[in-house]
Parts: sequence; C-alpha cells; structure tokens
Amino acid sequence: MGDILQYLSTNATDVQFYAQTHFLLVLYSVAIATVIALVLALVLHTNQLTPPSWSRTVRAGSQETALLIASALLTVPSLALFGLLQPIFGFGISPAIVGLTLYGIYPVLRNTVAGLSSVDPAVLEAARGIGMGPIRRMARVQLPLAWPVVLSGIRVSVLIMVSIAAVGAVVSGLGFGKPLLDGLTRLGGAGSFAQVVVGTLGPLVIAAVFEIAFVIIKRLTTPRGIRV
Amino acid sequence: MSETSEITTSDDTAAGRPMIALEGVSKTYPGQERPAVEELEFEVPEGKIVMLIGPSGCGKTTTLKMMNRLIEPTTGRIILDGDDVTSVNADQLRRRIGYVIQQVGLFPHMSIGENIGMVPKMLGWERQRIATRVDELLHLVGMEPGEYRDRYPRQLSGGQQQRVGVARGLAADPPVMLMDEPFGAIDPITRDRLQDEFLEVQRQVAKTICFVTHDLTEAVKLGDRIAIFGTGGRLRQYDTPDEILTNPADEFVAQFVGGGAAVRRLSLLDIARLKLDEVVVSATDSPAGNHPVLALDDAGKPDRWLHVPGTTEAPPLVTVPFTGTVYDAVDVMLDSRAPLVLVLGDDGAPRGALRWDAMVGDLRARGNA
Repeated sequence: MGDILQYLSTNATDVQFYAQTHFLLVLYSVAIATVIALVLALVLHTNQLTPPSWSRTVRAGSQETALLIASALLTVPSLALFGLLQPIFGFGISPAIVGLTLYGIYPVLRNTVAGLSSVDPAVLEAARGIGMGPIRRMARVQLPLAWPVVLSGIRVSVLIMVSIAAVGAVVSGLGFGKPLLDGLTRLGGAGSFAQVVVGTLGPLVIAAVFEIAFVIIKRLTTPRGIRV
Repeated sequence: MSETSEITTSDDTAAGRPMIALEGVSKTYPGQERPAVEELEFEVPEGKIVMLIGPSGCGKTTTLKMMNRLIEPTTGRIILDGDDVTSVNADQLRRRIGYVIQQVGLFPHMSIGENIGMVPKMLGWERQRIATRVDELLHLVGMEPGEYRDRYPRQLSGGQQQRVGVARGLAADPPVMLMDEPFGAIDPITRDRLQDEFLEVQRQVAKTICFVTHDLTEAVKLGDRIAIFGTGGRLRQYDTPDEILTNPADEFVAQFVGGGAAVRRLSLLDIARLKLDEVVVSATDSPAGNHPVLALDDAGKPDRWLHVPGTTEAPPLVTVPFTGTVYDAVDVMLDSRAPLVLVLGDDGAPRGALRWDAMVGDLRARGNA
C-alpha cells in the first residue's frame, strides 16, 4: 500500500497524463463509433441500402449481415487487433483510435436498431398520416423515442473501450495501459507491482467518470414525456 | 303520418357537392390474387359523416387509407375537393386531411400542446397563432387548456388521449377528416360519451368525415350515410341509416344489419315526428272524454296521472323530452312498465302523451309504407 502511494506521489505528472490520454482516447473513439453506428443504423433501418422491390428476407438479411460483421469484430482478441492495425497505422494515437472504434460500433449499432424498431407502429402511422415526411419522422419522432436505448448502447460501448484502451497501449504507449505493460514486463522489479495496480485501477476511475457523465447526459437529453 | 320519405330524405336536401369521390377504385395487394377493394364508386357529400362498415377484411380501412394515400390504389381515381389525390405531394395532401386512428398514436415525448400543434407547425404557422389554436381545440374537445396543454400523453386516460387525437386531427382546420375506429378501444360508457361529444363538435365544425367502424350501433348513431362493405371489398349498399335498416339492398346487408334492425331504427325516429295524444290538465279525478288526465304539483310541474283511459288504476308517471327519440320513449316505458309516457317541451310543460299501443301501430304503418 505504501509502495503505491509513494509511486503516485513521485509520478503524479505521469499518472495525470495517463488519465488524460486514457480518457481522451475513449472519448474520441466513442464519438467516431457512435457517428458510424448511427448512420449505419439509420441507413439500414430505412432500408435505403436495398431497394424496396427486393424481398423482405433480403432486406432484413442486409440488416442482420451488418450486425453480424460488427459483432464479429468484437470477437477478435484486442491484442491481435492492435497487432494487425500497427503495420497499417504505425505507432501512436491512430491505430489505438481505429481499434477502439471498431470495438465500439457493435453495441451502439445493435441498440440503435433495436431502439428504432421498438417505437410504437401506431405512433409512426399517426406521424405519416398527419403528413410528416420520412426525414422529419425520423428526426422528430423515431430517433427521440429511441434515444434512451441508443444512449445505453453508447454507455456499454464506453465500458468496453475503457478496458480495451489499456491493451491499446502496446501500439499507442498512452493511457493506463502504459504503466500496466511496463509493470508487467519487469514484474518483480522495484515498484513494478505499484505500476500494475495503478494500471488496473486507473481505468476504473475513468469508467466512473464516464458513468457519472452518462447519468447527467441521460437526464438532460431524454424528452420529459418519456422519462421514467 | 305514414310516409317514410320525409325521414329518409331529411339529410339529402341539405347535401352539398361531393367533397370526396371514388371513381372505379380497386386495390390488390402485391402477392395476393383477390383484390382487397374492388371497383369502388361512391361520393361523400361535403359536411356529412359517412360511416364505412363491414366484417373484418372487407377493405373498409384500406378504402380509408387510400383517401390520404397511406395506401395507393391499384386502379381508379380518388378526387378530393376537386383534385385527384395522386396529383399532389402525399405529405402536403395529408396535412390538409385530419387523420385519427384507433390506437391514437400521440407522440409520447411531446406535450399535448405540441402534439396538437404539430400540423400547424409543419404548415408554417406563427407560434402565437398555434398557441391560440391549441387552446381553442382543447376547449372544443372539452379539456381545460391550462390544465392539459403542458401534460404528456401518458398522463391522460384512454378517453382523454382520443380527445387529443381528435383535436390533433382538427388542428389545421382541414375540410376532411378520416377516422379509423377512433372509439374502438375505449370502454362502452366513455365511448358513448365521446360519440355524443363528437356529434356536438361536428355540429360546430361541419367537416366532411369518413369514419370506419365495425359497430352497427355506432354507424347508425353517428352516420349521415352508411357504406356497407361485403367480403372481397365490394360496396353492398350506400345509403342513409334509416334506408339501410328499412330496405336492405340484398341478403348480405339484411343479414349484417341483423334482427335488431327494427329496434335500431327507433333511435333514428324523433318523437317530434309522431302524433301525440292530447293531455288534459286537471285538479280533480274527472274522466275527460278519451284523454289522459294529468295532475300538477304546487310548482306547476307534472306530478302524477289522475286518470288514463282504458285503465282502472292510474299508471306511474314517466316523462321524455320532446327532442328525444322513440328509442328513449320505449326505454322509459319498458323500465317503469307504463303504457304511456308524457312528452315534455323544452320549458318543461306537457306537450302531449305517447301511448304504447298507438305508437306500435304507428311504427308498423311506417315500416310497411
């Protein structure tokens, strides 16, 4: 315990840097992943990908396929993914963000698709019947109603990313993965255990910060009529 | 008193030009052999309520949804207010047509005011004009604007939600309203009240209304005209409620209207149309020829029968307003086992009496005429 406190006090600037970079890596990646997933879900949901003349099964199939690809990405071991991305993006921030983004798409995509299709068909029929066009219907009715579900997808995405960002340190050298990997490679050496502990507990703190942010965001962005 | 023409034509005399006209409209859904709706040909006069009724799967809802292009007809034309509906943008068209559905479909994330103001907002009305209109409409459907404007749909009962649904349909003052079983999911007591309110609202706004229902009682109560659909989407009869109940066009309609037709017709017949017996008001129990004798109380209100011809003991006194229907008269008579009912004018003064035996004879004469 004393070791850890001593480590924290002598390396305060470094720890602060780990925290900042870890937080920002996740923030950037989740932002990009959310945009990609939302666009993909909207396109899939409105079925602009396949013409309406195609059979129902094919159109439903295209949605399932996109989900399948996104979920397959999740099964790639994170260490392997960063290893595969390194030759393409080199070292540093870019392979880390690309990797995290790929992991973050699925939860947002899955929840957005589920959220959009959970909207009461009667509400959508009424919207169509009073003359709301497809874009207005999506923006004013369907997306706001699906929003709480979308938001919880983003939240799951963030939790996954916070833990995987630590592994991403093999290519980025940033975040709490840095002390963790340093400590692990020289395990048994002076102060190595303190590094491992800080590298493990650090992401927990980052996750807590995100969780608090989500509570506030949810409160602020959920329309009053559907707040529970 | 034996001619039926004065009853059946009473609303035709006021019928305006056709607001909606269907010309040879058919709809066959993709992948289905039989058409859902076949060769429809009818007109909806301006300011009238037309009820579309028939067994499930008869195409009544399909017909309704073709009018605002939620469903596109396979063949034929639908003319709305002089224009072919396919000649205008579907969204623009729908903003000019009120649309109310059974599941209401209020936007749960928007306040009642926002829900009602949605169409005016899309039409680009100013904020102040929308706010005034919302309050006006809430008043119209019997909801206090101050109390309900800022509430959310889930805070309202089913009946209140449908009132808001109707208000939303009326928001931009469209000439035409399409209603798809709006009161179908509401409990019978509330439904009855909503129907009364609906007729009251219609008296004020005089819209051209197409109303889908599966309830014959509702069709007879609300409709100026009834369109009866048979299976396979064919229009079997299109006529006034009275004519449909009295002279069903074919076996199908007769069966659909059922054995209760004669009783249902009673609610279409105003007491004002019947010949009433003269009533003598007296203080003493003296036989006054062949007329029933009525005693008044101290306030001058009818109190009890003193003498009724053909009875030894005076029956209980029951009353019905002059503006009521024969159905109301029969109802109170059966309820109190009275052979006659006193008809009161608006001022509460006796207008005459309606005798059971005379009334039944009169109705039979009308039915056979």
